[in-house]
Amino acid sequence: MLDFIVKRVVQVVIVVFLALTVVFFLIRLSGDPTTLFLPPDAPKEQIEEYRELLGFNRPLYVQYAEFMKGAVHGDFGESLRSGEDALGLVMARMPATFQLAISALALSLIIAIPLGVLSAYKRNTLFDKASVGITVIGQAIPNFWFGLILIFIFAAQLKLFPSSGGGSVKHMVLPVITLALYSVSRFVRFTRSAMLDVLSKDYIRTTKAAGTPTSTLIMKYALKNSLIPIITLIALDLGVLLGGAVITEAVFSWPGVGRLLQQSLMNRDFPIVLAGVFIIAIIYAVINFITDILYAYVNPQIRVK
Amino acid sequence: MMSNNKFLLALFLIVTLLLAACTEGTNVEGDSSSSPDSDSNAANSGPLVIGFEADATTLLANHDVNYTTDTLIRNIYDPLIDRDPQTAEFIPVLAEEWKNVDEKTWYLKLKEGIKFQNGADFNANAVKFSIDYILDENNGSFYRSRWANVEEVVVLSDYEVEIHTSVPFPSLIQRIAEDLLIMEPGYVQEVGIEKASSEPVGTGAYTFVDWSRDNYLKLKANEDYWQGKPKIEEVEFRIIPEFSARMSAFMSGEIHLFKNIPVDSVEQFESDEVKQVSSSRINYLALSNLVDGPLKDLKVRQAINYAIDADELLETVLSGNGTRITGPLSKLNADYAETKDYRYDPELAVKLLEEAGFKPEDLSLTLDTPSGRYPMDSHIAQAIASQLQSIGINVEVRVNEWGQHLEKIQKRETGDMYILGWGPAFDAQSTIENLFTKEAPYSSFYEENIEKKIKETNQLFNQDERYAGYAELQQELVEQAAWVPLWQQADLYAVKTSLSFSPRVDEKMNVFEMAWN
Repeated sequence: MLDFIVKRVVQVVIVVFLALTVVFFLIRLSGDPTTLFLPPDAPKEQIEEYRELLGFNRPLYVQYAEFMKGAVHGDFGESLRSGEDALGLVMARMPATFQLAISALALSLIIAIPLGVLSAYKRNTLFDKASVGITVIGQAIPNFWFGLILIFIFAAQLKLFPSSGGGSVKHMVLPVITLALYSVSRFVRFTRSAMLDVLSKDYIRTTKAAGTPTSTLIMKYALKNSLIPIITLIALDLGVLLGGAVITEAVFSWPGVGRLLQQSLMNRDFPIVLAGVFIIAIIYAVINFITDILYAYVNPQIRVK
Repeated sequence: MMSNNKFLLALFLIVTLLLAACTEGTNVEGDSSSSPDSDSNAANSGPLVIGFEADATTLLANHDVNYTTDTLIRNIYDPLIDRDPQTAEFIPVLAEEWKNVDEKTWYLKLKEGIKFQNGADFNANAVKFSIDYILDENNGSFYRSRWANVEEVVVLSDYEVEIHTSVPFPSLIQRIAEDLLIMEPGYVQEVGIEKASSEPVGTGAYTFVDWSRDNYLKLKANEDYWQGKPKIEEVEFRIIPEFSARMSAFMSGEIHLFKNIPVDSVEQFESDEVKQVSSSRINYLALSNLVDGPLKDLKVRQAINYAIDADELLETVLSGNGTRITGPLSKLNADYAETKDYRYDPELAVKLLEEAGFKPEDLSLTLDTPSGRYPMDSHIAQAIASQLQSIGINVEVRVNEWGQHLEKIQKRETGDMYILGWGPAFDAQSTIENLFTKEAPYSSFYEENIEKKIKETNQLFNQDERYAGYAELQQELVEQAAWVPLWQQADLYAVKTSLSFSPRVDEKMNVFEMAWN
């Protein structure tokens, strides 16, 4: 088991390193940001001077080496715009993103699992068909469009919820629903097929034949077993949600990490972008790591492989 | 089966209850940014909420050159000199008067008896501190490039300063009006730059309350403001990046005011909720003679001027939201002089091309444009291409990301033509010097005699001579067909009728000038 954990930790480090490397070079493709910081009437010598001050005049590999050296020590430098600590700015946004992600995940599980179970149990009935149909639509609707429709109906017309911003539970309702839509659809479909799979197993038939009540059959025997593969799906989804749901955060002006990254990318504030990518990569890798460990714990076969 | 259904029912009930708990009447701590009442009568009691596309990057003055940052913090800090909201003429604020002592020295007399929001006195030291902040390399202020010619700020007395420059700097007053905001030296030194960047203190009409980045900035009226108590008690700048969300927030009454309604969305607003002002920001089509190609030939540039019908573009693509210009300056510019108008004349265009030795069909030009930076910019580019196409010129339009567009211009890697805007522009020097000289980063045009004349005129202190010099330059630049001048942008604001608000020509939003109706 220890061997397995060590291997996985090494993998996490590699993943984070690669993510930072790729993003470092990708954002440089957008060009030198110095001109965007200075007033348009800045003379050439001034632009050169700032280029030097900000370090953009050095060869790219030198800049990369410097950056990696800092990153290893958790130092991502300062925001090019405001001079504040880049990592600090990203961390300050994490609570808002966590709040949105956990709520959206909770909401989708509460809705999706019962719906999926019921769909499987009532296979091929009208209920099942309706639920499958709705989930297909849920997956097909673009996030930003659904968000705007919610804003239009519930904020602009009915005035039930604020259309944007953060800070209260009321502010959370629309973005959480928007974010949950896609996950709900995925979870319903997944739960349904996992349940169908389990329900066709011999032991279920035997248990049923023994006269076990339906609720016990589903809750105790079928659901428990079909939930195992769903853990992976939940973990992956949580990773995506915590990475900052960029579009949802933008539509609802939710002050989370996704918004910060988007804004920083537009502002060419590279240190913030890289600090953000670092945090997201770590979260994603750690969640996967925990999932693997959980899996290994549940299913010893994985450990052996 | 029955118990299973009960279980599900219970789950759905829980979800419903959870959602219901989040609706009206939920008492949530810190929910002070809830929507102001949409009822216009009740609006007076709540805070004024102004929607913005982006947030300030810092609340420290004199640091980041950025429209949003400047507009927001101008409510907290005062300038020494401001512009008249409608005529753009200089008006004194913290400074009482200013004059040239000699070509390299400016003298400013300051108003007395003004206090910062923390009770400290405003005086000459604060002015020196604020300018020195810009000049100190270690601070990394992006304004320094504009102030590089300032050598020293000398405090003569508590309320008198002299600014010494290394070269004659006639446009320093403009720099003071557009860039400089006065910080409280004692406060900044005491708490440090980082804290002063997020909890600012100035002499302005509003004091800082709370800033949640990319979410809101809340201010309240400075009761002891030296120009009188502001009429609006509380103000919140709310950051809503998405236009549709901003529009919904306006429709639902959550926000009272926002700038930049896209011209193709104006119809969705009630007509009495849209206010418009002609901006000093101009849009133009640069006909670059800094890149190799047929546009190095004067006749080809003139032909293009005749072949493009800017009036039609303005009417059809922008639905008339803009004011035509014919030269490099707008009428709001203090140095504006009337120039020749190339009327639309496709036949003359063809004739000129032939004189230059080109058949229109043989001419292939490229046109660079940003997308979304100026009203309908990429649509304008397409329309220009099709107008040129109609006399046979083949035009390829290239749409660039904004940063890339600027970089192409700087590196002289654009096509023959490109679309760019310039502003706020209230004096000739900052436009002409930056856009028609060989080395200036965003220039598209160079002509030896014109450059010489620009340099001479820039150094003139006599207002009449200066005006005459720039007037002549404007005529020559039009004669040289350096651009196809297009229009001044129209700034379109959505304003609730409960709010009394007049848009300023410099695009600022000073809440002190607003009131509830």
